Amino acid sequence: MITRRMLLGGAGAAALAAAAPGRAGAQTKEAPVKGGSLTWGVETEPGTLNPHLNGQAKAKLILRNAYETLLARTPDGGYVPWLAKDYAISEDGRTYTFTLRDDVSFHDGEKLDAAAVALNFTKLKEPAYSGSISAGHVSHVSEALAVDARTLVLKLSRVYAPFLDGAAGLEILSPKSFASPQLKAGGPDIAGTGPFRIERYVKGQEIRFVRNAAYNWAPANAGHQGPAYLDRVTYRFLPEAAVRTGALTSGQVDVIEGVSGNDAGLFKDNPEFTYQSALNTGTPYTLYLNVTLGPTEDVRVRQAVLAAIDVERVIRSVYRGERQRAWGILTPADTDFYDRSIEGSYGFDPKRANRLLDEAGWSSRDAEGFRTRNGQRLSVEIVQSQATLRDQRDVLLQAVQAQARQNAGLDIVLRYVDAGTYTTRQNDGQYGIIPNSTTTQENGVTIYFHYLPRNKGGSINYSRTEAPEISAWLDEAASTLDAKKRFDIYARLQRFALLEQAYGLPLYVPDDQIAASARVKGVGFRPFKRLPENAYDIWLQA
Amino acid sequence: MDSRNTSVATPVPAFAVSRLFRLRRNGLTAQIAGRIGSGLLVLWAAVTLSFVSVHLAPGDIVSLLIGEQLRTPEVEAAIRAEWGLDEPLPAQYLSYLTRVLHGDFGRSYILQTEVSQLVLSQILPTLKLTAAALFVAIVFALVSAVLSAGRRVPRSIAGALELTLVSTPSFWLGILLLYLFSFTLKLFPVSGDRSFSALVLPALALGLPLGAVIGQVLRQGLERALEEPFALTVRSWGTSEFVLRLRHGLRHAALPAVTLTGWLVGSLLSGAVITESVFGRPGLGRVTVEAVLGHDMPVVLAVAILSALVYVTLSTLVDVLYLWLDPRLRSDSREAVR
Repeated sequence: MITRRMLLGGAGAAALAAAAPGRAGAQTKEAPVKGGSLTWGVETEPGTLNPHLNGQAKAKLILRNAYETLLARTPDGGYVPWLAKDYAISEDGRTYTFTLRDDVSFHDGEKLDAAAVALNFTKLKEPAYSGSISAGHVSHVSEALAVDARTLVLKLSRVYAPFLDGAAGLEILSPKSFASPQLKAGGPDIAGTGPFRIERYVKGQEIRFVRNAAYNWAPANAGHQGPAYLDRVTYRFLPEAAVRTGALTSGQVDVIEGVSGNDAGLFKDNPEFTYQSALNTGTPYTLYLNVTLGPTEDVRVRQAVLAAIDVERVIRSVYRGERQRAWGILTPADTDFYDRSIEGSYGFDPKRANRLLDEAGWSSRDAEGFRTRNGQRLSVEIVQSQATLRDQRDVLLQAVQAQARQNAGLDIVLRYVDAGTYTTRQNDGQYGIIPNSTTTQENGVTIYFHYLPRNKGGSINYSRTEAPEISAWLDEAASTLDAKKRFDIYARLQRFALLEQAYGLPLYVPDDQIAASARVKGVGFRPFKRLPENAYDIWLQA
Repeated sequence: MDSRNTSVATPVPAFAVSRLFRLRRNGLTAQIAGRIGSGLLVLWAAVTLSFVSVHLAPGDIVSLLIGEQLRTPEVEAAIRAEWGLDEPLPAQYLSYLTRVLHGDFGRSYILQTEVSQLVLSQILPTLKLTAAALFVAIVFALVSAVLSAGRRVPRSIAGALELTLVSTPSFWLGILLLYLFSFTLKLFPVSGDRSFSALVLPALALGLPLGAVIGQVLRQGLERALEEPFALTVRSWGTSEFVLRLRHGLRHAALPAVTLTGWLVGSLLSGAVITESVFGRPGLGRVTVEAVLGHDMPVVLAVAILSALVYVTLSTLVDVLYLWLDPRLRSDSREAVR
């Protein structure tokens, strides 16, 4: 066995070459202009500005201006240096050693050293500070040691494959920040190392960043090195899609994210604007079928649901070609573990749906044409949280409802519920179907959340499966660092979950959109994790 | 959906209680004491009702705070300990009351900030918006009523306009105003609480529907007043019709309109939610809705106290306005009762 060690020169340069066309855009060869201010209209206001505690995918593009991580990712899933110059994993897979840069300082003037990084890890392990996050990947850290000023050693209690992604992606805060009364709320007092620092936050209105002139430690695959181009960048919170669009077309903001399907046409092929979209990583918007309650306890009914709905047609008619149909337990953007062979291996088959339902005993019909068994109607309740009801999902669910009725005599009842009701129903298993999607790439961790038993880390196990084979596979995958082996295990799980057990019906792949005025250059998506990138590489054409 | 209708539960006790006290006692000191007493009673009732109703609403606080993240006994214990949720409910209630009496409103469960700071930072934008919206509403109501009362054609035009405004969802009205005056004509900026010009459109979006409601009531009052014998008397002095309406008619017509306005202004707070999110403005409306949905008790209770205060103040103001508008009420409260 060899020690894995990243070779700085080779990997970095290759990544740079691979990343270049994707980022700044091949359309321009002009020299970037320094200076200017940019205003970006965003949909979501961060709940807290502390990057450790904020779990919102949509807050990342804002917080990444001020807070940085040990390693950055490349489009092909590799790692390149950022705050750490180098890393190594021991042969037994339980000791991670990070070598830090020696020229990095926090916004509050403190120097970045191994002790500061170690403090971040030990603090995060305290439930009183980080709540649920303490139960995540940091829970595997048994010891965080600053061997010397530059060398950080993390010891794990057991091999945990997704750990590198988690550790490399942890935002590092200055040690002084942990003593601040504002620690949990975040804000200007909580110092990071990023190319911008938070200047002013007006709740409900905007957050403004100012350039960090001392910045000189961009990740190896960034579009440039040295300080950021912009003097200031302001993110204005505009929750309504139509208002963001209008603000951009009338020149009141320079960039927006979250463009509705109907408005995309305004910016596409319009020389005054640029428009780009990227499929989300994570899981598709999927109908998860409850295996512990009602008709969907029967695997035949679940398989019938998958066969009764013509997903292709529904997606095309609801989104007019602006959204992509999903097939798997992960989205195709998840380049680590998405197994493409699932595509086309199941699908719309009304004959099969009706045969399965007949076999399951739902063979008679009531006056309205719905199937019944022992006088009871075949009825499944979809519980959709209002908090995640976006992207015309209500229209989509209505189309699914109509298809189920028409093709198989299956009655789908739609319930849109508030956060409290949703939490109660989710915890108690009082639902037939919960539809949802997750939007971040966490090196397969989301599979664990979806398919482990609920009391063993399956916090969003909506199908409520406790199949012992799944737990065994997931355990095996987590304890190997062999990426090929992990891929095969997740692929087997995918076939088991969708083809054999029909735990869920994937509908579509959510995506992120960015529209910008044509004079804004260097705006784009993060490599690999596919969320909109911060403002470091952005510059304004004179 | 119209969230405006949901929050009008508090004003009823506020007005009823205060009126009750006012009518039973005589003399200024007694009136003031009664007023303060009833105010405190309303505040206490608002806190208690909010506390109970948040606990009755589905979903327990710890589960909501954890959401769909990892849940372990240690995490739950840490959250309970941090917010004092491990104590029995009556103890939580009493300790909250004690802390509030000492001026400590606690920290937001969700936003993690001091509630007093949070509310203070959001109250000014809200007050600006409500004041501006009220101004728009009153001007609209006055102009529409004075110009159209008792005249067939203007009356039906104003009536149709008012009906349209009242029945237009405020979300839609906001977008429409933005589309016209901000995106197309570029007269006013979209968002934020940054300058006076940024206040114009939100104030119109919030104020016009309110003005339409008040306008209808005011017009009816004005028409009734103009038919009364005193109007004939004033006309016989040779006073112009316009002066008659402004100086004499309005005073008579104002009583019901003032009551209605006082009552509606309180509802502006919750009506502001939609306007705030359309225009990307800071303000209490959005903070409140998010706090209620997330069962963020300290924020909900602080807003309940604040709204109760607003209602008590408004009901006092309305009573004072009554006295100013209608001299018959001034002489003695005993006569007013009779």
